Amino acid sequence: MTTVEEARERGRELFCAELNPVLRRLGERPRGAGADASCPPHEAQIRRDIWTALAEVGLLGLAGELSPLVEVAELMGAALFTSPYADSLAAVRLLRHTGLVDAARVATGERRLALAGDATEPLVTDGGTLDGAVRFVRFAPDVDDLVVLGAGATGPVAAVLPVAQPGVVCRRHDDTSRGDFYAVTFDRARLAHPAPVPVPQYPTVLGELRLQHAAYLAGACRGALDLTIARLADRTAFGQPLAKLQAPAYRIAALSCRTAALLSLARAAAADGSDVRLAGAQALALGSVLFREVGAEAVHLHGAYGLTERSDAQVFFRRAAVDTVRLGTVTQLHRLAARLIRGIP
Amino acid sequence: MEASRHADDLLKFRTEVREFFASMPVQAAVERIASAPATEEPGHLDIYRWLGERGWLAADWPIRYGGLGRGAAWSAVVTEEMTLAGVPDDAHVLSIDIVGAFLLRAGTGAQRDRYLAGLAGGERIAAVLFTEEHCGSDLARLTTRAEPDGDGWRLHGTKVYSQKSRYADFALCAARTTETAVAMHGITLFILPMRVPGVHVDAMPTSTNDQFNRVVIDGVRLTGEDVVGPVDGGWQLINDMLRLERTGIDFHGKARRMLNLVRARAEATGLLDDDLFAVRLADLDGRLRAGRAMAWEMVDALERGAPDPVASAMAKWYVTEQVREIVGLGLEVGGLDATLTSWDVEATGSGSYESALRASPGVRLASGTSEVMLYIVATGLGLL
Repeated sequence: MTTVEEARERGRELFCAELNPVLRRLGERPRGAGADASCPPHEAQIRRDIWTALAEVGLLGLAGELSPLVEVAELMGAALFTSPYADSLAAVRLLRHTGLVDAARVATGERRLALAGDATEPLVTDGGTLDGAVRFVRFAPDVDDLVVLGAGATGPVAAVLPVAQPGVVCRRHDDTSRGDFYAVTFDRARLAHPAPVPVPQYPTVLGELRLQHAAYLAGACRGALDLTIARLADRTAFGQPLAKLQAPAYRIAALSCRTAALLSLARAAAADGSDVRLAGAQALALGSVLFREVGAEAVHLHGAYGLTERSDAQVFFRRAAVDTVRLGTVTQLHRLAARLIRGIP
Repeated sequence: MEASRHADDLLKFRTEVREFFASMPVQAAVERIASAPATEEPGHLDIYRWLGERGWLAADWPIRYGGLGRGAAWSAVVTEEMTLAGVPDDAHVLSIDIVGAFLLRAGTGAQRDRYLAGLAGGERIAAVLFTEEHCGSDLARLTTRAEPDGDGWRLHGTKVYSQKSRYADFALCAARTTETAVAMHGITLFILPMRVPGVHVDAMPTSTNDQFNRVVIDGVRLTGEDVVGPVDGGWQLINDMLRLERTGIDFHGKARRMLNLVRARAEATGLLDDDLFAVRLADLDGRLRAGRAMAWEMVDALERGAPDPVASAMAKWYVTEQVREIVGLGLEVGGLDATLTSWDVEATGSGSYESALRASPGVRLASGTSEVMLYIVATGLGLL
């Protein structure tokens, strides 16, 4: 088992103040690039190198170790680093007892997976093939397998499909984040196994993913606030650094308090074994509201410069639009939390 | 008060203007703009010319300068309907509401004769060159200098974050004519021709669909004919004009359009039947109604010739503060679909909500930041 301190130390080798400005823009396409825009080759290579490094420092072997995963997520968030990391480890956790995912090969960096769909729509296969479509799948063409989730007769089910086959076609979404979301269509796509498998633990795994993502958003808030504090210290107006003006200083201080509270919640929930479905929903809801505010404030306090392509402030702002809805909107999370608090499954 | 005396006329005018913006040619033009490639930016628009042909683009300007000879309320109707219809209004605000207004009130007769008709006709665009690398809100720190040269000056300096400079025929430019111990003294406003040697415009790409520009002014010679207002009196003129002309009408229009897009998506997806969304929509709708009411009070004050700088700062601050929540509600209603750009085949409404999302931080920065507005209000309350 990896300790929290070990995870943090290993994560800092990759996600640190010196490298984060590069990692934030990794793979970002130009505005309006459209469906055909691929990741620039040299950036794709950097991504592969980071994946190898994640394996080498042991961070790809953390499936199921929630506390270390929360630490790693926070570090990745400050870098706005995106990858199939969370999905791959969640897939290992989800399919642990099915034999469909080789955890050892994920840990060595040899296999990558992406989760697709949600467990609310029926998943109907025919003779080991799948037809249909899913949207907003992260890094779909860059992983080895997709884990397509759906609603079965008695609960959530999953189907594992290799991406590299004629029946799987990926089309990039052009969205505010300019990143790697894909629409995937299946045309008699072959599963890796005869039929979808039950995954009754999906709600718990989703809760864990949400808790990790909440920590990611805490890291993102930290990154945005650090950037903004540096800007305020550097800029002067009306005879003094902007940092010395109480209005912006107090706003940043308040947002910092809320960021600290968010991370504390994520860490505590990961460590104390409480119902991760509830904690994940609550933490992610808090984190989503917070990151939207922090992203907007970062641009605002950078002034007009914050809207320019050169500024990372607008990167945080754009990423907030996407990262605060992709594992459920705040409204959906609040609804779930309200049900769970009332004991409704 | 003119607006109430001519209320029937004003209502009839609004109906005509609304029908104009709802017409097929205008809607087709709006759609083309929304779907334009990322390399294109709204500049000279046919819509502006069509408005100009009717005298509507600057409805409150004298007829001899291309307006309708009407009051602030008429101009506000056009601005409001324009922004509600999704017509980009940056060039309009710059050319008519700022530069044109400066010339109308502080320019010479020759300047008004030379420049206003082209602006009111929608054929020419004017830019504003105030902001520099180290002076945004703190304009008194500007360093662009106007060095005496015979009976004129030579201007040297760099302006940043200016909008539509690539399309502008001329600009209102603030430069320092006199070095003094008091920074806000010694600033003069000039009309700077933009298409002459010595003016270099480079794009500063932004994350929105409109770019900023860096304008380097390298020894352009100007004379007294190019000075707007008194020499060394520019700072006071800027402050007075920006405070007095501010109503919040344009910002309300943008906020309301965005909320309309959110509501339309909620209706289309059935979420409007869900109280969780309906309640939030109702709340924001109420706040925008309040914002609109404040903005129109400012318009009425202008009509009476009694503008209130503190109240107008309140109006601008209040309505722009709602935009963040509208953005959030839009994301709640649309989820990831709301983040699809106009360059994605699955985007609804030509990605209009998404482009408004990216532009949304600008409303709390443009025409005076929220902090400047609160400063004005706090000062007016005797607090600072």
